Amino acid sequence: MTNINGKAYAMNAITPMKPWKTPILKLVFFLLGAIKPLQKDLKNLSFIHFARWVVIGRHQFPRLSGQQPSEELQYDYLLFFSNFNGTWNQYIDAFSAVLSKGLDLIWRWSEKYPGSRPVTGFKRYISLVQFDTDYYYNVYPRAATNDVKAALRVQDALNEFARTSQSLSPADFETAWLEFLVRIQPDLGSTGVAPIGT
Amino acid sequence: MANQSGQVYGLTILSPILEDNRLDIGHSMEIRWYLGHLPRDRNSPFAKISSTYLARLVVMDDVVYVGAPACEEHLKSRYLVFETNFDGDLDTYLTTMARETPEFVDSVWKHCVGYPGLSDLSAFIAYMKKCQIETTFFFADVNNRTVQKSLEALRTQSALAHFIERHQGKSAAEIQRKFGALLHAMASAPPPVPGGDESQRTPQENRPHE
Repeated sequence: MTNINGKAYAMNAITPMKPWKTPILKLVFFLLGAIKPLQKDLKNLSFIHFARWVVIGRHQFPRLSGQQPSEELQYDYLLFFSNFNGTWNQYIDAFSAVLSKGLDLIWRWSEKYPGSRPVTGFKRYISLVQFDTDYYYNVYPRAATNDVKAALRVQDALNEFARTSQSLSPADFETAWLEFLVRIQPDLGSTGVAPIGT
Repeated sequence: MANQSGQVYGLTILSPILEDNRLDIGHSMEIRWYLGHLPRDRNSPFAKISSTYLARLVVMDDVVYVGAPACEEHLKSRYLVFETNFDGDLDTYLTTMARETPEFVDSVWKHCVGYPGLSDLSAFIAYMKKCQIETTFFFADVNNRTVQKSLEALRTQSALAHFIERHQGKSAAEIQRKFGALLHAMASAPPPVPGGDESQRTPQENRPHE
């Protein structure tokens, strides 16, 4: 069992939904995908590399052989997979504080969902529906998603500076170099081990 | 398509796991044992599937009962959940998996119902697609670069930070000269290695879970 690799945490959760509610949730996701400003808070949280919600109908579990028994389920299920930075508590706290309305819009169709506030009941629910990861790979274990975005900004700025500074005199280079440093300074933090937290 | 966000593809696969009550160690436990011993760093099979950002494998034993008045129900099969985030298209990714990591793929999916093996690539791809579940909503924070570009950028960021630290207070001419050398060194460096090095990690980084 390994929910963590470097700075990333792999969360898996599954919640049951009455089938008549599934089309409503799919409509919610359609609107969330189509209207980009609705993703603003999710984007601004900036500690999720990748996240996905997968609705699986009660008849959609793959059956690949006649010997495999057919599932006989009454509920459709909402699967949630997230790759986030920080600890479980930080993640749930931030979700509850910043994305409360969005989360409620997504999970209110699931059975026994208590709402994302107050956070105590929300954490208890997530603990109940979460299941652990058996294997987790992370291409850049020491980088948070903010580190990746900062590094990409540094790379872009460096490429531009390298192109424009080639033929400068030392005096002009000095001016351009200082301007370049001021520009990239906020993005020069180094990657490394994540802080310990709960 | 919800499976994609920009250039990133979010693949979700549920493969039913074989059940055989005659075995001392069931297939799901065999998968867990194998995965528990699989390297998670640059020696991971996913480091060979070089377009992978983050990937996970999970044995899902059952659905969850959330309490009354909800109904209690159970799955009749266990499922292997394969969740991965990568650059490019699905067929290329599955082909790379089969070609670059055949031992890994066989060791895991041989415990799954209907797995055809890797001798017929198209049969393997068809099998994985039968197990695929369409993603309903996919969020990717960075979706307009590649894995290699992101790794290179992280290396550049680190190298540049060290360069600036080392050359503070030096003359403009010297910085300019050394900066040229830095650019040359970065351009001629081998590609960054994905997955990091687990042997270099601290105990804190290797903590299994919370």
